[in-house]
Amino acid sequence: MRVAFAVSIWLAAAAAQAAPHLDPGRPPSAVQQAAQAENRVRPASVGATLDSEAEAHLRASFDAADVARRGTLSRAEAQAGGFGWIANHFEAIDVQHAGRVSFDDVRRYLKLRSAPTVPLGGR
Amino acid sequence: MACLQPVLQRARAAAVLACLATLVACGGGGTGGGSAGDGTGTSQYLDPNSYSAAAGASLSSPNETTAVTHHSLTLAGRAIAYTATAGHLSALDSTQAPEASIFYVAYTADGAAAAMRPVTFFFNGGPGSATVYLHLGSFAPKRLVTGVPATTQSVPFPYVDNADSLIDTSDLVFVDAVGTGLSEAIAPHTNQTYWGVDADAAVLRDFVQRWLVVNGRIASPLFLYGESYGTTRVPVLTRLLETAGQRVNGVVELSSILDYNSNCSVSNAKPTINCAGFLPSYAAVGDWWQLATAATGDLDVEIATARSYADTTYAPDASAWLASGTLPPSSHVATLVAMTGLATAAWDQQFDMDNDTFRHDLIPGTTLGIYDGRMSAPVGSALDADDDPSNTFIDPGFEAAIKTVLPALGYTNPSTYVLLSDAIDSWNFSHGGRSLPDVVPDLSAAMLLDPSLKVLFLGGQHDLITPLHQTELDTARLASGAPIALHFHPGGHMTYLDDGSRPLMKAELAAFYASATGAP
Repeated sequence: MRVAFAVSIWLAAAAAQAAPHLDPGRPPSAVQQAAQAENRVRPASVGATLDSEAEAHLRASFDAADVARRGTLSRAEAQAGGFGWIANHFEAIDVQHAGRVSFDDVRRYLKLRSAPTVPLGGR
Repeated sequence: MACLQPVLQRARAAAVLACLATLVACGGGGTGGGSAGDGTGTSQYLDPNSYSAAAGASLSSPNETTAVTHHSLTLAGRAIAYTATAGHLSALDSTQAPEASIFYVAYTADGAAAAMRPVTFFFNGGPGSATVYLHLGSFAPKRLVTGVPATTQSVPFPYVDNADSLIDTSDLVFVDAVGTGLSEAIAPHTNQTYWGVDADAAVLRDFVQRWLVVNGRIASPLFLYGESYGTTRVPVLTRLLETAGQRVNGVVELSSILDYNSNCSVSNAKPTINCAGFLPSYAAVGDWWQLATAATGDLDVEIATARSYADTTYAPDASAWLASGTLPPSSHVATLVAMTGLATAAWDQQFDMDNDTFRHDLIPGTTLGIYDGRMSAPVGSALDADDDPSNTFIDPGFEAAIKTVLPALGYTNPSTYVLLSDAIDSWNFSHGGRSLPDVVPDLSAAMLLDPSLKVLFLGGQHDLITPLHQTELDTARLASGAPIALHFHPGGHMTYLDDGSRPLMKAELAAFYASATGAP
């Protein structure tokens, strides 16, 4: 019994070693389980939920650049903080000519600018 | 090296001007001091560094010396002179502190106008995979002949001029992520520092930006090309580059996994995710083995039928089975059997059909490839040793080839070029508040920042790990009218290995580059 158990452990270990990593590979089991639990309450985002998740990435970059925690960025702060896109579009975003822009200003500019685009074709 | 120190010390604008003056020499000023702009200077480099792909590894003295060689490829009767540059370039953080020494091989056409000439950065995935498959198998000026889906080509695979090379359209830079190939973190960082979805994309952003500056290419149309986990990596990288103010013209996603939460094969146990995204791929593989009795002789029609059936019938059936173990009416199972060739008993046992069950049970006693379901091996045979005949057949040829290709490009180093590291075991998969990454929001954010960004999705109809319909389902989440196109061809995960599909992909890429750069 004990020998059989040891052999089965060895076989499992050998199998685990033999199986190469794949690409895309399977994440560790604990990560898979955590993801399963999350997915039950948070399905894949579409529409407004997807928009807000996309925006959350941009807000995280904004907050990372806003090292002084002022809630606004100057052009120089945006550039230095890694949000060069804001620096490049600063005049258009800073409609109040305040010299500083908030994340709401960025959102307003993005909404204003998003025009219908022409699909490439194909499936 | 001559050009490196000034670049580190000067302001960015000055560096760009300096590099524009000596275009190629700046990126590849080897020990031989190649004056490469004229396409004649050649420099060999024996890199004395020892590189490691271990999690805790850390490079103390990075160097940026490159090997530079000159070549010519004739495409459609036109000779294209190009320069190959192989070596390392350090990714620097926002304070110009070094992060990682990134190994790359760049193929750049001689005499092209930098502002007009696209440059494409290629990334394989894993995570933990070196960019050896794209480098040696896809659209570089030379490629390996594999003969897939046949498994008869012996190692070494022939390395031949590539009639489908993209060098007529774009400069090509093949990049190894940290802790793969010959890339390694620089002290005090370790490879582990960059083994996560966000940290990996950030350090590759810093590499891409530095490469563009050092080579005087920040004005060049920029393209990113990912494969497999590379299609998870590249959308994050694209968003980060666009955020940083670096425009990305186009993204190519080959064999995509945009959302680890939707791909039912990303599980060690039986799937808890609906596998409907795999059904058209099962139909394609069943067709290949002439087991799908519903086959019409037209693969595209069969895929279209399976796609439609997956959406309307199989997906809800599989959801019901996952929720309560309830099988649908036997007529539904009969439809699946006719569509795929997989026997009734398999569906009754595992109705939410995972790729591992499918590829082991379709033909009793035979294992089908996970990367290419057209490749097979008898159970217990040498080709079945890794439980994946496609991988077992392909890998040794690539592993052998990189050992001779790099020296032939003038670059020699005693370290082992690591095709696949253990990065995945300690990879930080968390991203965007989820334990497993979903990068559709990253693509969406990048498109928001840059409405002219275009994305081309490519893939193989017989790929049993990143199935074509899952890519369709994931990309359908993007806003309608999003500037994307999808094309799938006969072949596996590394679709370009198929001699029939590679020219089709090349033509689609050429058209895509034209549309994304506004070229006529």
